[in-house]
Amino acid sequence: MIVTKKAIPRRTMLRGLGATLALPLLDGMIPALTAQSRTAAAPVHRFGVMYVVNGMIMQNWMPSAEGAGYELTPTLASLAPHRNRFSVLSQLACVPSPGRPGGAHAKASTRFLTDISPPTSETWLDAGISIDQMLANEAGKHTQLASLELAIESGETAGACDVGFACAYTNTISWRSANTPLPTENDPRVIFERLFGDSGSTTPQARRARIAQDRSVLDSVIAEARGLSASVGAGDRAKLVEYLDAIRDVERRIARAEEQGARELPVVDHPAGVPESYDEHVKLMSDLQVLAYQADLTRVVTFMLGREFSGVTFPQIGVPDAHHPITHHQQEPEKIVKVAKINAYQVTKFAYLLERLAATPDGDGSLLDHSTLLYGTGMGDCNAHDPRSIPILLAGGGVGQLRGGRHVRFPKETPLANLHLTLLDKFGVRLERIGDSTGRIDDRVLSAI
Amino acid sequence: MRRPFRWGCVAFSLLAATARAQVRQPAEPRAILDTYCVGCHNARLRVGNLALDEIDPGRVGSASDLWEKIARKLHTREMPPPGVRRPDDDTYRSLIASIETALDAQATATPRPGRVPVHRLNRTEYANAIRDLLALEIDGRHLIADEPGGHGFDNAASVLTASPALIESYLSAAATVSRLAVGRSAVPVVDAFRIPTATVQDERAGDRQPFGSRGGMVVSYYFPVDGTYTIKVVLKRQLYRYLLGMGEPHQIDLRLDGALLKRFTIGGEGRGMTAPESFAGNTQGDPGWEAYMHTADDGLEVRVPVKAGRRDVSVSFLRQHVEPEGVLQPPQRGFARTTNELYFDEPAVDRVLIGGPYDGSIAVDTPSRRRIFVCRPATRAAEEPCAKRILSTLARRAYRRPVTDAEVQTLMTFYRTGRKEGDFDLGIERGLRRLLSAPAFLFRVEREPTSVSAGTPFAVSSIDLASRLSFFLWSSIPDDELLDAAVKGTLSTPAVLERQVARMLRDERSSALVDSFAVQWLQLGRLEGVVPDVDEFPDFDENLRDAMQQETRLFVGSQIRENRPVLDLIGADYSFVNDRLARHYQIPDVYGSWFRRVYFKDDVRGGLLGQASILTATSYPNRTSPVLRGRWLLETLFGAPPPPPPPDVPQLKENGADGERHSVRERLEAHRTNPSCAGCHIRMDPLGFSLENFDALGKWRGTSDGVPVDARASLPDGSRFDGVAGLRKLLVSSHREDFVRTFTERLLSYAIGRGTEASDLPAVRKIIRETSAQDYRWSAIVTAIARSAPFSMSTTAPAMAVAHGTDDTDHREQTR
Repeated sequence: MIVTKKAIPRRTMLRGLGATLALPLLDGMIPALTAQSRTAAAPVHRFGVMYVVNGMIMQNWMPSAEGAGYELTPTLASLAPHRNRFSVLSQLACVPSPGRPGGAHAKASTRFLTDISPPTSETWLDAGISIDQMLANEAGKHTQLASLELAIESGETAGACDVGFACAYTNTISWRSANTPLPTENDPRVIFERLFGDSGSTTPQARRARIAQDRSVLDSVIAEARGLSASVGAGDRAKLVEYLDAIRDVERRIARAEEQGARELPVVDHPAGVPESYDEHVKLMSDLQVLAYQADLTRVVTFMLGREFSGVTFPQIGVPDAHHPITHHQQEPEKIVKVAKINAYQVTKFAYLLERLAATPDGDGSLLDHSTLLYGTGMGDCNAHDPRSIPILLAGGGVGQLRGGRHVRFPKETPLANLHLTLLDKFGVRLERIGDSTGRIDDRVLSAI
Repeated sequence: MRRPFRWGCVAFSLLAATARAQVRQPAEPRAILDTYCVGCHNARLRVGNLALDEIDPGRVGSASDLWEKIARKLHTREMPPPGVRRPDDDTYRSLIASIETALDAQATATPRPGRVPVHRLNRTEYANAIRDLLALEIDGRHLIADEPGGHGFDNAASVLTASPALIESYLSAAATVSRLAVGRSAVPVVDAFRIPTATVQDERAGDRQPFGSRGGMVVSYYFPVDGTYTIKVVLKRQLYRYLLGMGEPHQIDLRLDGALLKRFTIGGEGRGMTAPESFAGNTQGDPGWEAYMHTADDGLEVRVPVKAGRRDVSVSFLRQHVEPEGVLQPPQRGFARTTNELYFDEPAVDRVLIGGPYDGSIAVDTPSRRRIFVCRPATRAAEEPCAKRILSTLARRAYRRPVTDAEVQTLMTFYRTGRKEGDFDLGIERGLRRLLSAPAFLFRVEREPTSVSAGTPFAVSSIDLASRLSFFLWSSIPDDELLDAAVKGTLSTPAVLERQVARMLRDERSSALVDSFAVQWLQLGRLEGVVPDVDEFPDFDENLRDAMQQETRLFVGSQIRENRPVLDLIGADYSFVNDRLARHYQIPDVYGSWFRRVYFKDDVRGGLLGQASILTATSYPNRTSPVLRGRWLLETLFGAPPPPPPPDVPQLKENGADGERHSVRERLEAHRTNPSCAGCHIRMDPLGFSLENFDALGKWRGTSDGVPVDARASLPDGSRFDGVAGLRKLLVSSHREDFVRTFTERLLSYAIGRGTEASDLPAVRKIIRETSAQDYRWSAIVTAIARSAPFSMSTTAPAMAVAHGTDDTDHREQTR
């Protein structure tokens, strides 16, 4: 290789190209980017939630031993390669507030990130802002999208689902405010377009071609806007300056994404729509989630593998039965086996996400190092729809604030809200209470120290 | 601290007034003010920071904004406050008249037209501009990022910010739109069109469906290129994903532009033992039956070649003319629709998926291509001149003015790059993309005379006037005729202006006045989010919501098209209904889903006040709210909005909390007994009671909560009236000025894209004076607005960058 004074080392070049693959429309500012210093910036801390529904067969989930020496249960088996990157948290409770009975499903999903029990109503929506949205409020200032709400099932937010409860309660876990549930999106094409515009594909060729075009449009438009703002009065100039600032902000975001500089990106073609197979669908959504993190298009993602109360069937793993009805297994062994199969199957989807994040370099580490991820559901034992001990995994390095590899058993019925408060701390969001929290959890059991 | 002080002031005022009344008749403005106002508003006490003894009503001078405020307080009879001696009506009127005469004289001598900051095209305007520029219909909501919600109209320059996400979406849209318009091969995509669960599909679903059909939907779809497309139908499922209504065979028709593509038969083929009805999901049937209930609609798909352009794709069931046996059951709604498989009921369409193009063909002849390619080069040498002609023609329309050589050269540079990479069409596409990204297209920047100093009023150029007109009346760019008149410089002449306005109002693009102006003025956007309580209103379905929206749109549209007096918005004796709405209004003998004009003699319906859209949008999910309705009436029709409620107001107690049912009127008494509520609620509540004969969905009722409805009501000025008939009469007679003024002010605000301010009020009054001889007809008011100072003039930018504030408190959205 001939190295001249002005040449960019090939390694840097590849990093540059890698990042641009995933960038939004106006990602062509290569000269500006290569001029950027490559000192490692403070890593960005991402938050992700993967939500599963209808409770679990807890005896197949919960390890019996505590601490680092715990055994991986059948449901958790697929996570073996990532054993040191997550912890199993037991005996956290998601119990509805007294005086608000009913709606086990509506409350499981609604409380999972809000810690608020909604009132029984098919029309009046009243929960609380969810922790992902608290984080999105801050993180969204730096990214194209404040958050993404992904789902596998489509669901309108109108109508009644769980008896007496509006469908919004079972269809989403993200609440922008007490009365504003965020609709989830299950079409990867819509997600792709939200992230990458109309760009066709994330292959290097497709990207490179667009970069050249985008760059020339952007340069030419900036020149025009400058000329225009020179010709107008001061009052109007302010608006055009705002516009120029907006364009520069796009450039800056590109530069930041560049700093995340990573080589390997899953190549995702512009999806046509919702894939027919569940496996393909979940994989594609997870790939998009990783791409969104990697290009720093958003830092907060929630992903519902089903909607609460779901009756989806899983013939691909030998469970042709509708999900919710068989979770009321009445202790019939055959049904228990089937539900456990679904539980273990869905955990493999989380394992895939961890694998992708671990394989994606991010600054000095990987995306997984710089993420805090929750996996779980708002109900424990599915037959009883028991919210007193729910299954929770906490994964990722949390930018040096989390260590994995353990089974932590909390005192009985420790509110999930207490964990939420502690996690918010790790993102620099300090609150005294949230929902029905009673304090913070003992952070020593989670932290890396 | 404040209350004793105020009482002291009132007492003082009474004393002073009594003393003076004996020596002078209150005829002169000065004397009236001294008699009724100066007692509090004087240099010593300065109540409300106002000293009326220091300023002269004969010389409004630099205090004109203050005098406008005083006039407004007098108009609404807010001042003097209740409980204090007040002038009689004639005295009020004479004082207002003399203040306003002085203000108007000053405005004529030294106009203050205000200034509209640079506008960015909003989402609606962008989509309309693309439609008119390229004959391409796009859905702005898919292409342009969410706009930040603002108060008032969505075309107000102050809310049209340029955030990075927004700007990025405009630039991204330019790439998409240029590709679609030129019609080069497109990426295959699947677009889904969904029918809400609460839409009842028992009847023919609209005029564009065949007779004898039932349910389904018509999708007006833009096929980007000639090619092969798939059309797939997915049927409604219940919560556990069991298909609805699969007990018996049903026929489904798939049509393209009315021509039958295929007829499918579905249902009745489930094999083996079924689950007990309405227990599917909880109890299993035989495996064959279970599989059928999940997959019966798998094959509802066709693959067809389609020519590029916009076409109607329709899906509907063949209506079965059978009557069910046994006792007639109520229709299944709400929870049953979500959870029951309704095995022997009728299936329904959930969504239509249109996918393609799958063979990457290229469009040859589409409306967009006809619009763009004004020439076709026969030789390579002819390409450059033709490209230049194409791009400069488009640029003139898009930039809404003659274009410079330099601008055309910029576009040609992009053309050449594309031409080099591919063919002529690709060159045009690249040039078009650059054009659509141009600040000159996305922003409305008006030219100012350079010779005058900062802050000086001037008449806007006729070219900018053309844009102001087209964005006002069409929410879009000017057409060639309008632009030609502007370029010739004749647009500013009264006759030409009047002719153009009349032409533009007749043009169907003026429906933007309905979709943007009327919908926002009447705050009908809220209707979309209304979720009526299913226990109180089991009949509610999406069909009713659609019908409500449609009624108001058709009604306002007819008013504009027929150039009626704007008072007819209130006083008209007609409206539009289809069968669903007629059932709601209890009008007999209306069949079918098309809307027809009906006349009313009952003084209940007719005009805006009897329309379910408004009555529903101003109610709670489970009950009416005289407060919301009163507030809406004050704000929207009377132009006297109360301030927003203080924070932490408790909800009304649930009805029956004390063991007894009370009428809303009784429960609202709390508002008027609590002094901190009474100040505003004494104005809102009594007005809202007039509409109590309409329930929360606008259905007529004689009783409410078991007691006869008491619809006696009153206005802040003390006028008493009864029910909707009384309110209607009042608005078109004694209070017609209030309505016309409010309407004019709102329309003017929409027209100029900024909130109106005190300095605009002389123009509002001038418009009203000028149009009274023409009964305040739409075209008269629109023409007068076009001629008014705020619309036809501007002010050179001030030397310092000072934000031109809008009066948000007057245009605050009602909070619910």
